[in-house]
Amino acid sequence: MLQLLLNGVVSGLLVALPAIALSLTYGVLNFPNFAIGSMITMGAYIALFFNVDIGVPLLLAAGLGAVGLACVALIADRLVYRPLRNSDHVTLLVASMGVYFVLENVVRFLWGSDIRGYDIAVARPHRWLGLRVNNEQITILIVALLAMVAVWFILMKTPLGRAMRAVSDNPDLAGVRGINRNRVIGAVWGISGVLAGFAGVLVGMDGVIDPLMGWNYVLPVFAAVILGGIGNPFGAVIGAILIGVAEELSTLILPTTYRQAVAFLIIVLVLLLRPHGLFGKARISR
Amino acid sequence: MIGYFTAILIFVIISALIGLALNLQWGQAGMVNFGIFGFFAVGAYVAGLAAMAGVPTLIAALLAVVATVILSALVALVSARLREDYLAIATLAFAEAVRLFLLNETWLTGGANGLPGIPRPLSKVASGLNYELLFLGLSITAFALCFAFAQLLTVSPFGRVLRALREDDLVASTLGKTTLSFRVRAFAAGGAIIGVAGSLHAFYFTYIDPTQFGAFVTAYAFMAVIAGGRGSNIGLLIGAVSVMVLLEGTRFLKDFMPFLDAGQAASLRLILIGVGLILLLIYRPQGFVSEYRLQAKQGRE
Repeated sequence: MLQLLLNGVVSGLLVALPAIALSLTYGVLNFPNFAIGSMITMGAYIALFFNVDIGVPLLLAAGLGAVGLACVALIADRLVYRPLRNSDHVTLLVASMGVYFVLENVVRFLWGSDIRGYDIAVARPHRWLGLRVNNEQITILIVALLAMVAVWFILMKTPLGRAMRAVSDNPDLAGVRGINRNRVIGAVWGISGVLAGFAGVLVGMDGVIDPLMGWNYVLPVFAAVILGGIGNPFGAVIGAILIGVAEELSTLILPTTYRQAVAFLIIVLVLLLRPHGLFGKARISR
Repeated sequence: MIGYFTAILIFVIISALIGLALNLQWGQAGMVNFGIFGFFAVGAYVAGLAAMAGVPTLIAALLAVVATVILSALVALVSARLREDYLAIATLAFAEAVRLFLLNETWLTGGANGLPGIPRPLSKVASGLNYELLFLGLSITAFALCFAFAQLLTVSPFGRVLRALREDDLVASTLGKTTLSFRVRAFAAGGAIIGVAGSLHAFYFTYIDPTQFGAFVTAYAFMAVIAGGRGSNIGLLIGAVSVMVLLEGTRFLKDFMPFLDAGQAASLRLILIGVGLILLLIYRPQGFVSEYRLQAKQGRE
């Protein structure tokens, strides 16, 4: 039981990074970025390229993957989202689906569809108070917590973060107060890219790397964001951890192949019972 | 060569049907359905399973329609009150749940191996190329019926209410229109058309597996609707044909670029789908044909 709880928290933290990214872009740009799945995939592959093909240590490769993905996100913003800045959110939504297709298939085009893995030594799990903890889980824990602290710091303690929160709350008012919207949006995409990039590497370390790896995270990530309340990055973290734990505990009563269905169930329940999520503002029903 | 063209035409008809359904759900009623591929899969599997169980093919297709209508109505009932982007997430989640079910309930759906050997309608009447042409005739008939159905809904008072709800549901409900009931019925009507598309798909290919029902189905449908002009059924037809011609055209990419392997060529096609979708949204969001209006003076809302 405790073991399941631990596994759940760790896999929840894995979901938390892209969930923060999604929540930030959702809050500032006001559309759900369906490309988040393929951003995770692409981050994992960029790091794979540096780690396996060039032979850089994984830690450095992960950093390069995150930076690389931030660049990809900025390019996507410049080429796709900026020309559509004044479109309604459905247009942006459909556009993000287009971006999803492009990114996932660029990955397939460049690296093929085979299952790959990073160049890391397989280590025996540690035993600690009767719990099994493996190295990947410890890495996930550390990286995810560091990333969250960094995001919290940027959002709450820097002028840039204040500008982001202002644009998210009320873009017009923020504009009147002289906040440069495009710069804020650029920063949001950059941060999202870094988060999704690290998430990709962690997912790749935890499991396998293939072009569909990110797609499998789309539902849990969306479920986490909805559960936590749209546009609330810290709610998204809580949502992600709850979903991780729920998925892990579901294996007690459901076949493991239906783990992902838990996310679906949570989405349906939240939308039915409390559509603005646990910590969100009530503004989504029409 | 004729065989190739018949096959292409049947593809076009199946994808145009899906586009028609989306045009009703999203174009008219403003309900974003990202989970079309899930409903499409349900239609195909119900038709396939029923036909394999010995049910006459027409009844099997009807069963498929009934299944997709019920599921669509249920999904709409749960989520029709939500804003578009939430509806998109909810429908996508539904489609993923369908995919999980298809992959895991091997006893029923064959899992990843799929369902082989689905019987075809009227397979005793003709064979070979003649049968292909017969099937094309059947598909055209089915399409004509669905198109008439969609067009009838569009020009009827029902369609007008849908568009009113899409533009401003507060005004429409003040005028005494029950938002939820109209939305659920519109979504279910779209579901019926997707059921027809699913059955045609199952009967034509005689083999179905979960990989045939991916998110790309949704992307095709959105491209067809956006290219044609949201809300216009005639436009949708033009959109669906041009999207399909473009996609089929990209099959020949491989001939110009022999250095690509099969996987790379396939992914290049999907990249083009994504790029095409984005370019349409940026440069031609209003599509080729504008929506049906009682006074057809100006296009575009």
